[in-house]
Amino acid sequence: MKKSSIIIIVLIAVAIGAIVSSYGDASTYENFSVAAENPEKEYHIVGTLDSTKEKYYDPKTDANYFTFYLIDDKGKESKVVYRAPEPQDFDRSEKIVIIGKMNGEIFEASKILLKCPSKYTENEVKAS
Amino acid sequence: MNEVLFEGERLIYGNLGHLAVVLAFGTSIIATLAYFFAVQKPEEKSWAKIADSAFYVHTFSVLSIVGILFYIIHQHLFEYHYAWQHSSRELPVQYMISCFWEGQEGSFLLWIFWQMVIGNILLRTAGTWKNPVMAVVMLSQIALTSMLIGVKIFGYKLGSSPFELLRIAMGNAPIFKRPDYLSKIVDGNGLNPLLQNYWMVIHPPTLFFGFATTVVPFAFAIAGLWKRDFTGWIKQALPWGLVSVMVLGTGIIMGGFWAYESLSFGGYWAWDPVENASLIPWLILIAGVHVVLIFKHTGNSLSVAFILILTTFLLVLYATFLTRSGILGNSSVHSFTDLGMSGQLLVFLLMFVVLSVVMMAVRWKELPKSAKDEEIYTREFWMFIGSLVLVISAFQIILTTSIPVFNKVLGTNMAPPADVIQHYNKWQMPMAIIIALLTAVAHILKYKKNTGDAIRKIGIWAAVSLVIAVVLMFAFELTNWFYIGLLFASVFAVIGNASLLKPMFAGKVHLVGSSVAHIGFGILLIGVLVSSANKQVLSINQSGMQLNPEFDAQANMEHVYLEKGKALRMGDYEIEYRKDTMEWVNNYYQVHYKKIKPNTNEVEYEFDLYPNAQINPKMGLVANPDTKHYLSHDVFTYVSSVPKEKGESKFVHPQTYEVAVGDTIVTNNGYVLLKRINSNVKDGKIDVANMQLLIAAELEIHTLDRVYEATPMYGVQNNSVAQFESIVDDAKLRFKFTNVNPANGKISIEVAEKDTSGEFIIMKAIKFPWINLVWGGTIIMIIGFTLAIIKRLKDLSRV
Repeated sequence: MKKSSIIIIVLIAVAIGAIVSSYGDASTYENFSVAAENPEKEYHIVGTLDSTKEKYYDPKTDANYFTFYLIDDKGKESKVVYRAPEPQDFDRSEKIVIIGKMNGEIFEASKILLKCPSKYTENEVKAS
Repeated sequence: MNEVLFEGERLIYGNLGHLAVVLAFGTSIIATLAYFFAVQKPEEKSWAKIADSAFYVHTFSVLSIVGILFYIIHQHLFEYHYAWQHSSRELPVQYMISCFWEGQEGSFLLWIFWQMVIGNILLRTAGTWKNPVMAVVMLSQIALTSMLIGVKIFGYKLGSSPFELLRIAMGNAPIFKRPDYLSKIVDGNGLNPLLQNYWMVIHPPTLFFGFATTVVPFAFAIAGLWKRDFTGWIKQALPWGLVSVMVLGTGIIMGGFWAYESLSFGGYWAWDPVENASLIPWLILIAGVHVVLIFKHTGNSLSVAFILILTTFLLVLYATFLTRSGILGNSSVHSFTDLGMSGQLLVFLLMFVVLSVVMMAVRWKELPKSAKDEEIYTREFWMFIGSLVLVISAFQIILTTSIPVFNKVLGTNMAPPADVIQHYNKWQMPMAIIIALLTAVAHILKYKKNTGDAIRKIGIWAAVSLVIAVVLMFAFELTNWFYIGLLFASVFAVIGNASLLKPMFAGKVHLVGSSVAHIGFGILLIGVLVSSANKQVLSINQSGMQLNPEFDAQANMEHVYLEKGKALRMGDYEIEYRKDTMEWVNNYYQVHYKKIKPNTNEVEYEFDLYPNAQINPKMGLVANPDTKHYLSHDVFTYVSSVPKEKGESKFVHPQTYEVAVGDTIVTNNGYVLLKRINSNVKDGKIDVANMQLLIAAELEIHTLDRVYEATPMYGVQNNSVAQFESIVDDAKLRFKFTNVNPANGKISIEVAEKDTSGEFIIMKAIKFPWINLVWGGTIIMIIGFTLAIIKRLKDLSRV
C-alpha cells in the first residue's frame, strides 16, 4: 500500500474522531426540567429574571456568592447560584443565558451571559 | 407627500460619499470585466488599458470614501447615522480612528482599502500575471464594495451605507418629524468603551490587512489554473503567502494582547468564535505555504498546494460570514449585529466557492501529479505530515465553532461545549506536540535524500532537548503528562531549529528566516504552556469563612472583597485598596501590592496597580485590568464589582487629645503634629466681626507617604462655642478643635477616622508566569517571517 493511502486513512479516522468529539462535548439549550433529570450534565438555559423574588448578593459576607431566581422558557422557575460577583448590568438584562448544572433544587451556574437591550442597538455583556 | 425641510444638515458630504461608493462599485465591475477580456483576448491591447484606468478611478474613489467618512466622524456630523452611532464629542482623536472600524460598514471599508492598496502593488509588480490576478482581486472588490451600497434593488437591500442619515436609519422616531431635529441631537452614542484602547487602534487594521492579503495567493492560484501555467504562479504567490502568514499572525496575536490588556476575562485567548474564525484560515495558509514549498523543491503535491491556497481565502470569507451574519448569536462576545446582509455574505462566499471548485474540477486532469511513493527520510515527507496535522487542527476548530451554523441548517439546538477551553485543549494540545516535533525533525532533514548523518543529528538534538525539558519540568513544577510532552516538543523545536542557524554566523542572515520563525514558534508554545499551566489565581478567597447556606465547593471563589484602606493578605501578597481617581470617564482604583517573603514576612518589593472601570450608561460596569509586568511573570488585576453609589462620608471613633505646640498625636495611618496656634485668623468664609475669639490649630498630618495640612478652628460667638472642623479626605481624617485650656496653654483636638466601610472593590488577581515568552516568541516569529520574505523576494529578482 502506498504511504499516501495510509495517511489518508489515518486522516479520515481523526476527522471522524473530531466530529464525534465536538458532537459529544456540545452542550444543548434546554430547560430546568431536563437539567434536573440529568444532574451530571451541563446545559445552557435561556430565561428571564423573576423580579418578584429577591436576588441576593452581599459582597461583605461573601464576594463570590450571588443567587437569583430564573424562569426558563417553559415557565419553570429555579433558584440559581453563581459563585462570582453579581454581573453589574444584571438588572437591566431582558434575557439571561446560564450555563451549568442542577445540584438538587439549585442550579449551579458557571457562566452567565446577559442580553441587554439598549436604546437603539443591541449589546451583549459577558460575565464568567 | 409634503417634504419637511430639515435645518442644519450638511448633505453634501453624504451625497459625495454615496457617489464615491457607487463609483468604487462601478469601477470594480468595469475593471474585473476588462481584465477578464484582457486575458481572454490578449491581442486586443485596449482591454488592459481600460482595466488599468478603471482601477485608477477605483483607487481614487476608495480614498474619497475613507476621507469623507473620517471627516464626518471627526467633525461630529451627527446627522449621519455612522458618526452618531460610533462616536461622541469628547472622544480623543486617536479613538476616532477606532470609531472608523467599530461598525460593520467601516470594517468592510478597511478591507476594501487594503485590497485597493494591494491592487496597486500588484499593478506594478505582477508583470505578466497582472491581468488574470487583478481580474480575481477586482472580483473580490466587487463583492466587498457591494456591502457599502445601501440601495434597495427589487425590494432587497444591497449592502449598508456608512453615509446613511440618522433620520432615515432611525425611521419613525418622532424627533425626526421636527425640522430642527439636529439641534436636539447634542451628542453621539459614543464608542464602545471596550474599544477605547490603543491596541484597538492598530489591531483591526493589521488583522484586516492580513485578511486582505489572502486574496493574492488565491488570485495567483486561480490565474495559474486559468492560464494553464500550473507552476509559474508559485514564484510570486509564495512571498505574498508569507506576508499574509506574518501579518495575519501578527493581527491575531495583537488581538490576544488587546484582550489581555483590556478585557477582564483574564487571558489572551478564550477560544471565542471570532478568534477562531481568524485562526482557522491562518492555520490552513501555513499548511498551504509549506506544501507550496514542497512542490517547489520536489515537484510533488501540487494539487494539495492548490487546494490549501484556495481554501485559505474561502475560509476568510467563511469567517466573515460567521462573524457578520449574526449567526453566532449567543456564543460570542464580539457582537456584530446582523445588518440584514447575511444573504449577501452567503452569496459572496458561495460565488468564490463555486469559482474555486469549478476551476479545480476543469483543470484537475491536467495537473501534474507524481506517481512514485514518498521517501520517509526526507524533509518533504514530514513537512507534508505536519501540514496535514495543521489541517486537522483547523478542521476541529471549524467544527466546534460552526455549531450555530449546524443548528440553523439541521434544526438542532446544540450549544457550544460548556467548558470550551478544555474541549479545544484536548484536541489542540496533542496536535501542537506533533507539529512542534515535526518543525525540528523536518527542518534538520534535507529535501529528497538524506544520509544517516541527519538522522544522527536529530537523535543528538532530541537528547539535548530532553535534558533541558526535564530541567524545565522541575523548574516549572509540571506534572501533567500532556504538558510535559508539549514542553519537550517545544524545547526540541527551539533547539533543533537553533542548530540550523549556522549560515547566520557566516553573514547570510536572510537564509535562516525559517529557522528563526520556527524557534519563535517553539518559544511561543513554551510561553503558552507555562503561562496557562502555572497560571495562579491570587485572589482565591483567603478568609476561610463559610457563611452561606449552600456553600459546598471552594471552587470558583476567585474574587476578593477589598475595603478601602484595609490591607488584606492574598497568597504571597498583601494588598490594599487606597483611593480612586476619576480621569475622563474612567475611575482608576489604586491597589497597592506588597510582595511578602513567605518565610520571613519581609516585604520584598511593592508596586501599585490602577485597574479602572467606567460605569457606562449603556453597558454597565466596563472594567479594564491593569498589569504589572516583570520579566518572569505578570500580576494581572481587574475590578469585577464596585458599590452602586457612594454613600455620604461618615466619621467614626472620635478621640480627643490634649496637646501643646510641638506635640504629636498618633493616628491609624501616621501621626499629626501641632505646628502653631494662630489667634489672628483671617478667613474670608467666617464673619470675624461677630466673634469674641477665633483661634486656629495649624496641623501637619503625616501619613505613610504624604504630608497634608489641616486647620480646625475654635471660636466664641455671643458667649457660645463655635467649632470649625477640618477634613483631610486623602488621609481619611477629620479634625475638630474642641477646647482651650488657658491654665497650661494646651488645646483639645478631636480626631475621627473616616468610615470607609461603604467603599470597596471586588477584584480578581491572576499571576501569569513567563507570559513574556508568548510575546517574545511572537516577535521572533515575525522576524523569521520577515527574513524568509526577504529571501523569497531576492529569489524573485534574481530571475
